[in-house]
Amino acid sequence: MTEEPYRWLEAIGNRREYVRDQLKGGSPVLAGCLADGILLLGVSRGLGKVFEIHDRHAMAGLGHPADLERIRQAAIDAAHLEAFTRAAEDVSLRRLVGFGLSAQLKQNFEQLFTAPVLGEFVFAELGTTPSRDLLVRVHFDGTYSVQMGGARVVAADPDEESTAQAALEQKWRDSLSLAEAAQQLLETWWLLQTQQTAKEPSPSLEERAAGWRTATAGAQIELGWLNRRSSRLVRYEVLDLNQLLPPPSP
Amino acid sequence: MSTPATPLAGDFVSLLQRSQMALPRMELGGDGPAITQATTVFAFRFAEGILMAGDRRATAGNIIVTDAVEKVVEIDDSSLLAIAGVPATAFEMARVLQTSFEYYRRSQLQPLSLPAKVRALARLLRENMPLALQGVGIVVPLFAGVDHTVSPAQPRIYFYDPLGAQFQAVNYAASGSGSGTIRSILAFQERHGSPKPVEMTLPEAVRFALRLLMTAAEFDSATGGVNPEAQLFATLKILRATGVETVTEEQQSAALAGTDHD
Repeated sequence: MTEEPYRWLEAIGNRREYVRDQLKGGSPVLAGCLADGILLLGVSRGLGKVFEIHDRHAMAGLGHPADLERIRQAAIDAAHLEAFTRAAEDVSLRRLVGFGLSAQLKQNFEQLFTAPVLGEFVFAELGTTPSRDLLVRVHFDGTYSVQMGGARVVAADPDEESTAQAALEQKWRDSLSLAEAAQQLLETWWLLQTQQTAKEPSPSLEERAAGWRTATAGAQIELGWLNRRSSRLVRYEVLDLNQLLPPPSP
Repeated sequence: MSTPATPLAGDFVSLLQRSQMALPRMELGGDGPAITQATTVFAFRFAEGILMAGDRRATAGNIIVTDAVEKVVEIDDSSLLAIAGVPATAFEMARVLQTSFEYYRRSQLQPLSLPAKVRALARLLRENMPLALQGVGIVVPLFAGVDHTVSPAQPRIYFYDPLGAQFQAVNYAASGSGSGTIRSILAFQERHGSPKPVEMTLPEAVRFALRLLMTAAEFDSATGGVNPEAQLFATLKILRATGVETVTEEQQSAALAGTDHD
């Protein structure tokens, strides 16, 4: 069937629809650049969503755990080979994604008789200042977009992602404290998870604060932190939400 | 993405081989130029953990190549390597270890165990055997890592022979041309001294380490020693259960002058 252009287009369209359908209900992940580093956030039920890639690089993703693992491993392999054969400073997201992952994802997506990658991703690269931080949003079909600084939302539904992205961009400042940033990301996560991104009027501050607390009960909130102020080569740290945003006393 | 996983999960050397980037194996013969050598390194246990030290000199025959070599290398946040022997080989080993440990930790989502780290260095030494046997690439390192299988976690010292045999040191180890002097003083201090090395505070241990190097330099021209007046200090690193700390030149100067606080 794929010899005919029309059938091929139809098959690709079906495949895209299939992937989006499989990703429905995936827990969103978010990343944001701050004065002291880049914060990545994911909410999971035991399986990881936020990962260290290299000294100044991290990723977060939603989708099938096996596919997240394939992409994570591919990124780690490429970054370590680059750092070993050249230098850690030569590991760059533009090259890692632009010349590596993106092409592999596209090829995988267009191979109709192989299982597609079920995942959506954001990669982060720590720069010397927030405006030099890089956030790369990578889609399951290999398309990607690059932004310097700011914050990035990754959700299964493209429309909800756009709405949440626009709302978060309006509020996001790199001068936010870590606690304030985590709070904003969690509120955005909750709005996406409960499909309230476009709700008018938007839920109040109190509703949002209570909302994400309730929605994350029993879940694991992963906070990855690329620390710009660290003197160590390895900048990635795992933060404890309870220390950043202690639960309200009963 | 479609390539198979490394034959040994999380093993960076396997990844290098799969990517056809394996380290080149040199076959040498005949007389070559004088090979740069690095001496002298040692490690001993003190009250807070392990102090690992090295002088800064590298020599080639009777030529002093430099007095600015860093022979104690932080491999990761719980491992130190001290280099004695040929820097060209030793620094490459350090780089392979650094990348291997981080690669394993990131890819397998757990740190490599101390025994595996110790064996990883032994494997590199064994692979270097042809050069070591020809006497041109010999490396006799010391390794310190944190054992997390005991509670509380304990830093440990290991030493090697040039072919890769590994030995755990109880309280101290030394390597390189000045190591004879250092080992003698450490053995004496441990048996008859007061305080014993394991009882020393950090400033005492730093002062002791610097004096060890000064003494070794008296008897071994390849050991650079320490000369505060010429701003020539050693490389000193501390390994605690909580991580690695570098003793700065200012701290070393203060320790020798006795202006630090015990």
